[in-house]
Amino acid sequence: MIRHHPDNNMLLEYSSGSLPWAMSLAVSAHLQLCPQCRQQRESLNDIGGALLSESAPQTIDTDAFSKLMGRIDAAEQQTREEERLAGEMGEPTARPQRPVRHTDPILSDLPKVIRKLISRREPLKWKRVSNALRTSRLTTGQDRYEVAFQRICRGGQVAEHDHRGREVTVVLVGSFSDADGVYRRGDFLVREPGDVHRPIATQDQECLCLSVVEAPVKVTGLLGWLVNPFLSFRPA
Amino acid sequence: MEVPQNRNDDWSQLLVRVGREQDRKAFESLFRHFAPLIKGFHYSRNTQAFSPEAADELVQEVMIRVWRKAPSFDPSRASANTWVYTIMRNCRIDMLRRNNRRQDSDSSDVDVDDIWDDTADTQPLLFLQRKRGEEAVAEGLASLPPEQSHVLEKAYMEGKSHSEISAELGLPLGTVKSRVRLALKKLQARMSK
Repeated sequence: MIRHHPDNNMLLEYSSGSLPWAMSLAVSAHLQLCPQCRQQRESLNDIGGALLSESAPQTIDTDAFSKLMGRIDAAEQQTREEERLAGEMGEPTARPQRPVRHTDPILSDLPKVIRKLISRREPLKWKRVSNALRTSRLTTGQDRYEVAFQRICRGGQVAEHDHRGREVTVVLVGSFSDADGVYRRGDFLVREPGDVHRPIATQDQECLCLSVVEAPVKVTGLLGWLVNPFLSFRPA
Repeated sequence: MEVPQNRNDDWSQLLVRVGREQDRKAFESLFRHFAPLIKGFHYSRNTQAFSPEAADELVQEVMIRVWRKAPSFDPSRASANTWVYTIMRNCRIDMLRRNNRRQDSDSSDVDVDDIWDDTADTQPLLFLQRKRGEEAVAEGLASLPPEQSHVLEKAYMEGKSHSEISAELGLPLGTVKSRVRLALKKLQARMSK
């Protein structure tokens, strides 16, 4: 059972569309594993629906509808044309998606959005961080956050570490624990900069997590530690 | 064709007809109803989130998607209002992303509809249950204290994050967060009645 969820503030930012892309990716992976938060999402979307229905209507140009139908017809015409041409060329009309062959068993049962994310990146490149930990950076089309898989071997211990920026972790396969508890598939964790922890994977299987970390703040000059709020931030 | 009153279930029926039969008359009624609301949603009182031209373009884009996605509309999962809202939100994210994107950084296969995927296997609800939940939200919104509904409107209609709202209103981030939480608590209390 999933015990750690994004809080309502984060879910609302997701549902209203202001949560950054990479963070939303992590929330989405969690949602696909968590029926409880999916239900919450529906209520949050309903707020959007209610606000839409109660908006003060603004005038629309009189020709807007015919313009719209013109665009729709033109686009459909073009699709038919392309299909006809493709048919004449003897090509299948709908190119089947290249099947995803993940030879790596740990990637065989991932949430849909994560499968899509890695669908054309097989085989993934893994970088060995320590005996216990391997990591693979993922491209998400944005540069504010580092998105990566973290893979801890069975019973592996990750060195105690700090976070440069806010980090979100979603457990995708297996489980790990730290001083605060055990985290299983679907669990969603937020670590603030300054949170120090030492994760240990459980003995029975390898653990795979998605991590999203705020890109390190660039430190310039000797007094960098003064201008970098993350580095000087240490809660008591 | 009967002209629907301002009732959510009638809009849902029209959407179903667009999805099943590509019924243009039904689609036109939907357009006449939703297009001014979509534009109004982005036309907030003090700050204008979208210029009128961009708002018109957004209306067109949203309604094109409504036409194309109508076959996947399921009235047992979402009301017409909520469904159009989610399409509009994704469309807005797309448009903002297109404007801000650096040419070379777009090397991902994931798009907006993958991350904001509202089709995921949620439990279908009885139509009445769904409708009651919706009505509870709408009534609840009307009864919130102004400072709470204000932050919700900023979040949804202006697409602002909690920190942006906090900076704009000159409030501590914690205050914005707690207003949002209080508002949700009240809405949820109504829904579970």
